[in-house]
Amino acid sequence: MNFDLPSLSRREFLSKSTLGAGLVLGAPSILKAKEAGAPADDIRVGFIGCGKQHEVLFNAMVNIPGIRYVAAADIMKDRLGRTFGAIKSRFDTNIKRYYDAEEMLEKEELDAVFVATPDFWHAPHTIMALEAGCHVYCEKMMSDTLEGARSMVAAMDRTGKLCQIGHQRRSNPRYLFTLEELIKKNKICGQIININGQWNRALSSSQDIAAKPDILPKADVLRKYGFNTGADHELSLEELRHRFLNWRFYKSLSGGPISDLGAHQIDIFNWYLGVQPTSLMASGGRSYFKDREHFDNVMCVFDYDTPEGNVRAFYQVLTTTSSGGGYYESFMGTEGTINISEREAFTKIYKESGTTDAVSDQWDKLVARGVLKKVAAGQAAGGADAIASYESAPPDEYSLPGGLSKQPHTNHIENFIASIRGKATLNCDARHALESEAPIYWVNPAAESKETIIFTDEHLHT
Amino acid sequence: MSSQENSCSNDLGLSLGMLSLRIWLGLRAIQTGLEKFAGIKKIEYVPVEIDGAPNVYELTRSIEVKAYGLSYYKGVPAALEDKFKAEPLIPDFFLAIYDKILGPSLLLLGITILLGIATRISLFAMGLVYTSLTIGLILIKQDAGVAWLGIHIIMVAMALVLAKHDKFAILNKW
Repeated sequence: MNFDLPSLSRREFLSKSTLGAGLVLGAPSILKAKEAGAPADDIRVGFIGCGKQHEVLFNAMVNIPGIRYVAAADIMKDRLGRTFGAIKSRFDTNIKRYYDAEEMLEKEELDAVFVATPDFWHAPHTIMALEAGCHVYCEKMMSDTLEGARSMVAAMDRTGKLCQIGHQRRSNPRYLFTLEELIKKNKICGQIININGQWNRALSSSQDIAAKPDILPKADVLRKYGFNTGADHELSLEELRHRFLNWRFYKSLSGGPISDLGAHQIDIFNWYLGVQPTSLMASGGRSYFKDREHFDNVMCVFDYDTPEGNVRAFYQVLTTTSSGGGYYESFMGTEGTINISEREAFTKIYKESGTTDAVSDQWDKLVARGVLKKVAAGQAAGGADAIASYESAPPDEYSLPGGLSKQPHTNHIENFIASIRGKATLNCDARHALESEAPIYWVNPAAESKETIIFTDEHLHT
Repeated sequence: MSSQENSCSNDLGLSLGMLSLRIWLGLRAIQTGLEKFAGIKKIEYVPVEIDGAPNVYELTRSIEVKAYGLSYYKGVPAALEDKFKAEPLIPDFFLAIYDKILGPSLLLLGITILLGIATRISLFAMGLVYTSLTIGLILIKQDAGVAWLGIHIIMVAMALVLAKHDKFAILNKW
């Protein structure tokens, strides 16, 4: 294990690598990898970043065959030890441990790298790994800045390597089935007019993260790795460590709740509709966590022009309440509504009341074929306060015919590994991810300025 | 028929009546106790069939089976426990203890009554258990359950009355 730290800072790296060549679109986006040898060959994997999200990814991939774990890099010794121990106990393999990702990439022969670092390191680490000849799986949000995300697409094109972004819902069988079978093929929603999405997280889940000081990196390490970026004064060790553990609260290190939580779901809006939004209105506030740089609650409305007509999509991310039904994306059409969520418990499908006999027949046939399951006929709430003339008859409730037998990230990683072997194409390569993520980068500016943004190619190009 | 023969015939009837009560009450308690160690275990995921064939999206449904084990143990059902917790006359610590001992108590008393071990003491203890359950159900206004347990108490009392005719027992002392 080498404890020397490199002299290349993030800012220097960015200036020396692809930002200067951000508009160079050399090779076309290669979505299918060249053959990586015989299919039986193990994929040699390294990890950059060994925190909580890394643990989620590792636990999701332990049952995927044909992976050889080789090395991991993190600036925190304790995390490296945990990753080493987890791989050792599960696979009886001693991986190499590095404090520096660049050194790992120089010394190890890796086929693929998983990047699960803070958002402001995603672009540097991804580009570094792509240029070292590795395929990359990088967690969303692609970067803390739109420029950083664009530089990742450029690096993917330039190197010809695969770059999968961790919008894992795009490989989730439930989401794929809903899009392909229910929305596109059988059009059970009719014309989709509105979308409503949310992630409401309880106050108790939104508190500052703390850790024992003796396991945290020292001040010079944190400064070297950019955790003082954007600060207007010399940061104390305590302030640096707060930024290290709570980088999601700082504007120069992340995009805040709208990118942490909202990115997954607004990605679904754009993916399902197949178009980018035309405009954006947003509002946000530091209503509870007054000392945090980012908004603690954000609400926004996107407008879309689809071949079927105009669609408005509302999204909210709240960090002070978990009430209101959890997290889901709701596609509301003239004939039906699909509430889809990564959690099966939040997934519900409704047939509009008063639809034509033809529509009812279609839904009945879908149930008979096994495409849908009927849960319950709509039942009026009743009660003395019900005023019949105000209310529509309640819709019938349906559900998806099945669920997921794996962890939510497993299918997405399987897709990445299969693509490296040349047996699949990426479900969310960097270019497609950026097409979807680009509008999200404008939510915080729209909320700050309180002005509607009419999107142009300048805003949304990849 | 002599009076002695009549007496013998009546004694046999009373003994069989007692045995019937012991079997009913014993098995009732054993099965109820066992069910508190029951849970649902997912054992397999199978592809969902659409138009009679496995779907191409890898949507699956799980096959669930009932299983027994210590890890599934729940003395007081969760639905009732929440209601009991809201009752000021039922302290939380008492509910926690009761939750732990209810299942084992039913199993133990069921076995002793079924086999005829200290039948009178066992029957009385079972009567106390059913009475305690009755009190809980009264508090949360489950009248049907109260009536159902009332029938159990009557059967326990009948068994105690017939205890002197308990001839098919392992330990008839108490």
